[in-house]
Amino acid sequence: MRGLKLKAQILLAVIGIGTLLSCAASVKAGALTDEDVSSIKGPDTSEIAAKGDPGAEMTGTANDVSVSDTSKGLSLADLVNQAGQNKIAINFVWTLITGFLVMFMQAGFALVETGLIRAKNANHTMMMNFMVYGLGLFAYYVCGFAIQMGGCAPIANLGGVYPLNHEFAINLFGKPWALFGTKGFFLSGTTYDVGVMVLFLFQMVFMDTTTTIVTGSCAERWKYSAFCVSSIGLGALIYPLFGNWAWGCGWLSQLGVNFGLGHGYCDFAGSGVVHAVGGITALAVAMQLGPRIGKFNKDGTPNAIPGHDIVLVLCGCFILAFGWFGFNPGSTLGASGNGCLRIGSVAVNTMLAGCTGSFGALLYMWIRYGKPDASMAGNGLLAGLVAITSPSGFVNPLASAVIGWIAGVLVCLAVEFFDRVPKLDDPVGAMSVHGVNGLWGVIAVGLFADGRSNYGGSWNGVSGGVKGLFYGDAGQLVAQLIGVATLVGIIFTLSFVWNWLVDVVVGQRSSAQAEMEGLDIPEMGALCYPDFQLKAE
Amino acid sequence: MRLIGLACALGGWVLAVSGLLVTSSNGGRLAFACGGIALSIFGILGVLNRYYLKRAIWKK
Repeated sequence: MRGLKLKAQILLAVIGIGTLLSCAASVKAGALTDEDVSSIKGPDTSEIAAKGDPGAEMTGTANDVSVSDTSKGLSLADLVNQAGQNKIAINFVWTLITGFLVMFMQAGFALVETGLIRAKNANHTMMMNFMVYGLGLFAYYVCGFAIQMGGCAPIANLGGVYPLNHEFAINLFGKPWALFGTKGFFLSGTTYDVGVMVLFLFQMVFMDTTTTIVTGSCAERWKYSAFCVSSIGLGALIYPLFGNWAWGCGWLSQLGVNFGLGHGYCDFAGSGVVHAVGGITALAVAMQLGPRIGKFNKDGTPNAIPGHDIVLVLCGCFILAFGWFGFNPGSTLGASGNGCLRIGSVAVNTMLAGCTGSFGALLYMWIRYGKPDASMAGNGLLAGLVAITSPSGFVNPLASAVIGWIAGVLVCLAVEFFDRVPKLDDPVGAMSVHGVNGLWGVIAVGLFADGRSNYGGSWNGVSGGVKGLFYGDAGQLVAQLIGVATLVGIIFTLSFVWNWLVDVVVGQRSSAQAEMEGLDIPEMGALCYPDFQLKAE
Repeated sequence: MRLIGLACALGGWVLAVSGLLVTSSNGGRLAFACGGIALSIFGILGVLNRYYLKRAIWKK
């Protein structure tokens, strides 16, 4: 009996060893080698030359893979390198094209703002929107980009951007507080790098959106020279600082790692970084400028000063809604790898929030005033888009619709509030659209983020998806509120002090006579509509 | 008046961030953050803006 057991054990051992050997042999037989790959040939190029390739059967083949050593032919290393380059190429093209869409939003802002002011100031407002692009770009090129993104490396979707590798930080209470980047001034030195260039273009057009928000709130009374100096400060220092804290590996983004607050401050596409910074700066400047002549009566009651062209306003809103498909989905900085296929969800979220935002505002105005107000419907669309900018990468479609709807009502309430309580004059409603709803978007992440997004396994150095209060993470809401406190505390103060200096040195407000004539002739030297009969005060 | 308003705005941020160091509970930190935001908004709209409203162009 004992001998029989031993024989059975020997038999089992032989079978096991045999199985292992056969597996090893089959693996070896299946492994690809350089020889296998080098034997792959593409179609005959002379055949393509003779017939063309109308069916796209011979284009995009082994012929198109770059070969590092022509004497050896195609190798495995060539294939792997080509796959890596294809991934980064997809991401570069995606980020650049979405950046171009965001740049086109400047035209949308110009139309909305110009349509909402009186015809006698149209040239002045259009020229502010036109030149803010160049002024902001220059300031951002000189130092803004370095301050914001100089220490953000690595960003895997763009090939690493490894030259952006130095962040200035201080140690306080045993924790590092990263404050600003120090690489990338004038895009010089090692930052002359393809990935850095793509990142610069994309971040630059975001910054320009912020600077153009301010021109709307300050329209019809802002001295052009003061606007130029003010915009340079915003693009060079104020925006980049908050951008660094949120997106450039700064202290806000590290609240999760350092203090256990969810994933740190999360702002997918910039409700806080772009829109709230713009809206809060608009508040700081508008407060110093004071209201337009005729906006308030002696008893403090407000007067409506209607814009001159609702066609411009609504066309501008459509252009902005179109550009927003670059703003939010583009913020993945890629379409391939690290969960970037979520771009479809981000785009739909964007679309839904804009839609419900315009519904919310339209219905509010209809119920409250008896008519569906066109400019507020437009502002409702923009408010929904602003509010979803931050959560768009972290929430589901239902939450997007709710966030947009709330934003649409909120913008109407905020416009009424600013008019009646603090008596702040905002000709286009930028403080309400971008400031109030930018802050709402930041808070919405802390409430509605559903934890289903997964961009490469972690966000801000904390593994897993971002979850808000409704999905079990109260810490995320705290992180978002600290972001809000930073916006209303630090960013407002910086903007206020900078524009106070501008007021002392340049003078912010145009003369009363110029304002009543309209700023086109006194400030710009030419009317926007020379053939029109314009109405003076 | 303007400096007091700015001090309140900045103080609000200090209050919000100090919650990170004072307590480790989310509820406590939430209270500090909300208190900080309220203080900043009071500084901006209640103090700074009141200064400018006193000199408003429509009162002249």
